[in-house]
Amino acid sequence: MSDGGPEASRFARLRLVPGVGAAGLQLLRAARVHVVGAGAMGGPALLYLAQAGVGTLFVDDGEDVDAGGAGAWLYDPQQAGRPRLFAAAEVLGRASRFTRIRGYASDAAPTATLVCAQREPVARAASERARLAGLAHVVAFGDGEGGGVVTIPSGAPCIRCAVEPGARFPLRPAAAAALGTLAAVELLLVVARLLPGKGAGRRTDLLDGWPSTRPTARRPGCDCHVVY
Amino acid sequence: MITLRGRTVLVVGAGGLGGPALLALASAGVGRVVLAESGAVQDSDLAGQPLFLEAELGEPRGAAAARRLAALAPGLEVEVVAAFGEETAAGLVRAADLVVDGSNHFPTMFHANDAALAAGKPLLHGGLLHFTLHLLTVLPGATGCLRCLFEGPPSPGPEPGLLGPLAGLGGALLGAEAVRLLEGRPGAYAGRLLVHEARSGRSRAVPLKPRPGCPACGPVQGARAAGAGALA
Repeated sequence: MSDGGPEASRFARLRLVPGVGAAGLQLLRAARVHVVGAGAMGGPALLYLAQAGVGTLFVDDGEDVDAGGAGAWLYDPQQAGRPRLFAAAEVLGRASRFTRIRGYASDAAPTATLVCAQREPVARAASERARLAGLAHVVAFGDGEGGGVVTIPSGAPCIRCAVEPGARFPLRPAAAAALGTLAAVELLLVVARLLPGKGAGRRTDLLDGWPSTRPTARRPGCDCHVVY
Repeated sequence: MITLRGRTVLVVGAGGLGGPALLALASAGVGRVVLAESGAVQDSDLAGQPLFLEAELGEPRGAAAARRLAALAPGLEVEVVAAFGEETAAGLVRAADLVVDGSNHFPTMFHANDAALAAGKPLLHGGLLHFTLHLLTVLPGATGCLRCLFEGPPSPGPEPGLLGPLAGLGGALLGAEAVRLLEGRPGAYAGRLLVHEARSGRSRAVPLKPRPGCPACGPVQGARAAGAGALA
């Protein structure tokens, strides 16, 4: 990215964040991020990743737009019943002209993955696929008024090590947006190589509005250090 | 019992913090917002302010925000006011159930603080500097306020860097906090400042009691028994 021109003007304030600079912007520009889920968590995350100048976003969502919840920050009620993938691509294209928006396909070749699926089995399967592909990824999971975000650089403890499966409460909209934005922050830190601790994973829980972060640890017997 | 649909929230600013707070309030089903915003949409706003689209560059931010909110949440009533300052703040705050301050302009933050305390209305304050997010809920008569923390606005400096989604997190958390208070639940940041540093992941709580001699808090301490800070 040059020092002048439209991109320099757009991302001037992001560039000023300590550690980002021109190199960080270039890393974001080169990133190809697979985003699983474009609902209440994924909608805000997609919007921020597009506005932050991530080069390509692959939207991966097989559901239709439903009414309510301020449309996951993306969809107006007139789009109800339309595939989220198309509706999201349209809005994200209007939000930033610097990001390519594509539907996810098997030949997409992403460089990182963000998992914001509402259903836990879908999230776990997407996380496992990213791990096996050796991709850094971030997984958001909701639970009532809170939830958590797990950051998994390549080789770090996996989602099975970080989050016990279990019943969770339906996610409230404001909490969903908070988790989606938190997941987007983590993904940007990973992509721009700003996460402290080389290759270390971490989990941030959001409980009653308070974020609390701790390192993740490999569960005894888990073979997640093996990438095929 | 008044539902969220019957509540009015005054939001100061539609930018990095105010924009996501407005979207969170709309998502939660709040009935009415009054948006105090006077700027125009600038190119750098589109790197981290979710209410604005490419086609709206140069437009008044208030009008652009209201249009987007109307499209996403048609049930939400949005009123835009351009002026929020020493002379207008008191009336706007009195007419709302609570105030969300998403401004990045120091004098405006202190106008919001002083007007909320004078009117006995809860104030939700957010601030952001690089990787650090600050959130505080001020309950008049019960907690310290912005002037207990900083006696007055600091001197303006150069525009700091902004990580868009971190501001989004702050705005979404402010919106969730507003919903908590509007539903009659305790505020998560009432009397304790949340300081969250995104890169290290460290969060800490800074207790904030009313400071003796605070020019904004002092006059309302006696009003606590009368229920100031509680929602009707």
